[in-house]
Amino acid sequence: MNSRSFTAFLRGGVALSAALLAACAGNGEGLDANGNPLVPGGSAPPPLSADFESIQENIFTPICSVCHAGATAPEGLRLDAADSYNLLVGVPSTEVPSLDRVKPGDPTDSYIIQKLQGHAAVGAQMPDGCPTTQPCLSASTIAFIQQWITNGAPPAAAAAAAVNAAFAVTSIVPDSMEPVNAAPPQVMVAFNHDLDVSQLATHSAHFEKLAPAAVPTVIEQVPARISVSSANLRALMLWPVRPLSSGHYRLVMDATSSAQISDIAGQQVALGAPDERGETVISTFDVEVQP
Amino acid sequence: MIQRSLLAALILTIVALLRASPASAEPYLAVLEGYKCNVCHVNPTGGGLRNDFGLTYAKVLLPAETVDNTLDSWSGKLTDRLRIGGDLRADWSRETTPNSPSAQSFALEQFRVYADLTILPDRLGIYVDEQVAPNGSQNEEAYVRYGSTTDGFYLKGGQFYLPFGWRLQDQTAFVRQVTGINMTTPDKGVEIGYEHSAWSAEFDLTNGAANASTGSGYQVVTQVVYTKPIWRVGIAGSSTQSNAGDRHMGGLFAGLKTGPIAWLAEGDIVQDDSLERTMAAGLLEADWRLLKGHNLKLTAEYEDPDRAVRNNQETRYSLVYEYTPLPFLQVRAGYRHNFGIPQNNQEHGQLTFFELHGYF
Repeated sequence: MNSRSFTAFLRGGVALSAALLAACAGNGEGLDANGNPLVPGGSAPPPLSADFESIQENIFTPICSVCHAGATAPEGLRLDAADSYNLLVGVPSTEVPSLDRVKPGDPTDSYIIQKLQGHAAVGAQMPDGCPTTQPCLSASTIAFIQQWITNGAPPAAAAAAAVNAAFAVTSIVPDSMEPVNAAPPQVMVAFNHDLDVSQLATHSAHFEKLAPAAVPTVIEQVPARISVSSANLRALMLWPVRPLSSGHYRLVMDATSSAQISDIAGQQVALGAPDERGETVISTFDVEVQP
Repeated sequence: MIQRSLLAALILTIVALLRASPASAEPYLAVLEGYKCNVCHVNPTGGGLRNDFGLTYAKVLLPAETVDNTLDSWSGKLTDRLRIGGDLRADWSRETTPNSPSAQSFALEQFRVYADLTILPDRLGIYVDEQVAPNGSQNEEAYVRYGSTTDGFYLKGGQFYLPFGWRLQDQTAFVRQVTGINMTTPDKGVEIGYEHSAWSAEFDLTNGAANASTGSGYQVVTQVVYTKPIWRVGIAGSSTQSNAGDRHMGGLFAGLKTGPIAWLAEGDIVQDDSLERTMAAGLLEADWRLLKGHNLKLTAEYEDPDRAVRNNQETRYSLVYEYTPLPFLQVRAGYRHNFGIPQNNQEHGQLTFFELHGYF
């Protein structure tokens, strides 16, 4: 290099520096952690950190649940605040069932990381192929999720604190005659306490496909497999042993099964409500499989 | 000489066994040399498979040293009509974010293989850009091309990258992220291009990324570039019609050579109806060729994620040293620092990386 080159670079550097000074980062005044204007009286989400509450508020809710919510959530994966943890942690992915969506302690083998990084074996990179309206998450953002998984994927602090409340069902997905546009891989019943999995063998259930009539008539029964992931003892999963076709369904406890389920402290709660025939109905939903 | 060849082959093998990033494109080289993209690349809009001259440049003009005939003779031509090439990038990176544990890892960023089949010389061909690793094969570009890509009109049909601004190697540059047009986001459609003298122009009609799953609209992209030996200027525009919300973009970019230094600049503005906001992004880049095979890259970037909101801008500065010791092998080391609003730790992340880049 010669002095002329150096001078040219120096001049350019000065020009570049001047431009940089003119284009400073924002001071954040009047903004929340996501760069949105503060709403008077509103509460801003916490800055992104490697805990579930922060990840939910900064990533899952504002970005993922735009699509992954409600009855039409892709792959039955709802990432709204009420359901995301229970449908992620210890739950096999539907695209690659050998991989859990979130495997505590192992971000590499957690399917959500593969989908966010764009090297999953099936389907597009999330969010939804990274369209121009929603670019891919940055590596540093994904790193927070990886760190949360490495830390064991603990639930939100609020959920942990619920152990002092009475044992109860907190959500059932899908339920309440929801029309889902694809066969749900499972029905998820969430609780506010860890379940006593030693008693799972006393429970059995099946899906009933009903004919539309004034008095519901069962036209098909599909046995259900019941499981609770060791990674999340607060979510009871009931899996149809074969895919459900279009139709109106309800999930019913077998007549020989206990209708109550216990938490690890021995408290009991009913898994569903009895119908007119005395059967315990856990969930009702409609499957509207798209052709 | 034989030992040197073996060493080069060994290094390339090690690179291949490690990990790799998007298709290679280094527009600063074009600015330094006064070339249009089609001087070195089969694709007239740049990136991907290198042509005869591009390979010669990679073998002779770019590296610090050339090697023996074995490597020197690589032409990429399997037959007179079929040419292949590839890029593999493996790196180690460490990301640090305030109040969070740092993350570091080795990664195979990307391994891509390109192929171009000439059916009718200078008239009809098929081009493929396939990502083969990591984790399975994924098609990036696959199109049929008719016409001259060196002088006159041509037509592309299939899947390809859209022409908009500088086709940078760094797909995470603000100008590439905000516009959403980069070498990880190919689209399906047709492109009419024109190459003549100092002029390059493209007109693309495609699905639009926002319509990929709905089929609800289309995207129109157009770009015009005027290239002179020591400077160039380009203008690009894009309009996407979508049920999710229309999106309109405009961009200006330019390059200038001052001695051994190439200067690149780009400014883009994006109006997105689905996000109900207007965004802006800018890039300034200086590449100083210190010696043959040595390049020092300094970039400064700016992003305004919502023009209607004050105090929310982000900036990013990078310093990267690129050393090309031998043909087809490059070592890169860099440091990047982000700055943003104080209440968001993510916008203050730092990145340090070392990268091996093998290409052929």
